[in-house]
Amino acid sequence: MAKELTTQSYIDHHLTNLTCGQLKDGGWSCDPHDVENMTFWAFHVDSLFWSIFLGGLFLFLFKTAMPKNATADTTPTGLQNFVEMSIEFVEDNVQSLFGSIKNTLIAPLALTVFVWILLMNLMDLIPVDFIPVLAGHIAFYLVGGPDHAWITGPESFYFKVVPTTDPNITLGMALAIFVLTIYYSISVKGPKAFISELTLHPFGKWLIPVNFVLEMVNFIAKPISLGLRLFGNLYAGEMIFILIALMLFFSSIAIGVLGFGLHLVWALFHILIVALQAFIFMALTIAYLAMAHETEEH
Amino acid sequence: MNINATLLAQAVVMIVFVAICWKYVYPPILEVMQEREKKISDGLEAAKKADDSLEEAKLAFDKEMDQAKTEAAEILKKANARASQIVGDASSKAEEEAEKIMTSASTSIENETNKAKEELRQQMSEIIIDTTQKILGDEISPEKHDAILKKAAEDL
Repeated sequence: MAKELTTQSYIDHHLTNLTCGQLKDGGWSCDPHDVENMTFWAFHVDSLFWSIFLGGLFLFLFKTAMPKNATADTTPTGLQNFVEMSIEFVEDNVQSLFGSIKNTLIAPLALTVFVWILLMNLMDLIPVDFIPVLAGHIAFYLVGGPDHAWITGPESFYFKVVPTTDPNITLGMALAIFVLTIYYSISVKGPKAFISELTLHPFGKWLIPVNFVLEMVNFIAKPISLGLRLFGNLYAGEMIFILIALMLFFSSIAIGVLGFGLHLVWALFHILIVALQAFIFMALTIAYLAMAHETEEH
Repeated sequence: MNINATLLAQAVVMIVFVAICWKYVYPPILEVMQEREKKISDGLEAAKKADDSLEEAKLAFDKEMDQAKTEAAEILKKANARASQIVGDASSKAEEEAEKIMTSASTSIENETNKAKEELRQQMSEIIIDTTQKILGDEISPEKHDAILKKAAEDL
């Protein structure tokens, strides 16, 4: 791309996903210039790649952390300690919200959500240009050329690293949890109780449409707020990293040094956000599922 | 911010990951942890029980010891009493014996004295008769004067 690197293009570059999708005329393309013409059936390849990679990493770590011959008699070592600590942490949280309700899915779900989101958020701490530039060079080396006219140089390859700064990812997770919530609401309470929960209060049976609208807003707001909270926090954090990185564009050394300092400070602070948002997502997941298991007390 | 099929893909991926974690990853770890937890709590309980039984054994030991001591003291006391009783019996018996011996001794001395006196009297009377016979000649014969001699002997 012969285009001059400006502040605007730098930010845009960091906020654009590598998208592959179906075009309106039926063909498929990964060309960023075609994104405007894509139908709903488009995928953010970078987000999904990191999401699946990190999810797989989580499963792999937790599966291999346990030595094959681990029993109650063997002393836990190394990674096993970490894994057991995580599980204890999750079990405690599930216990405090679920109490006596027995559902073996909740704890593994909460663990997956927590560790997975934590790993995805941690990608934010890798300096913003490392992986996109590396990926750009690899892509240019591998497939750049006349067949893929849009990869004209390493910098023309979009590659967003932090999946949780993509609303599709966070809302997708929220959607999966939403589906589980509905499933457990119906299977635990029964369809009748579930529907009456949505229609019979706050105003009683004479105002069913009003009740339904109110409850529906309440019901839908949960997954949307769940997904958007995570997205918003991480997107803002990423944005600040990008802006700090931009300070290096100024020719003044002083501002560059200040940028390094700020980057360090923000990264340290961001560690807090990274862990906190993962925890909040997990806690709310458990809370929503606990609500799905509770029978009405009104 | 454009929503597209990534959202659905992520939802599906998440369900798959959660299912894998639920079925294959989580249970074995939890099982080991719960087993260990149970083992530890069992161990602690056993230790507490052992402590309790040790305490109990100590108490029982102390009790037994006390009892043994009192018993020993009692036995000693009894033995002492018995010993003094034996000594007492023996000394009283000895005294009695001594008295008896003294009595019999004095009795036999008296008898002996009487016997000697009797013999002396007999011999004296014989001597007197002999002497009297010699003086008076044959006028007096023991056969003739037996009665007189007897009376004299009795008077002596």
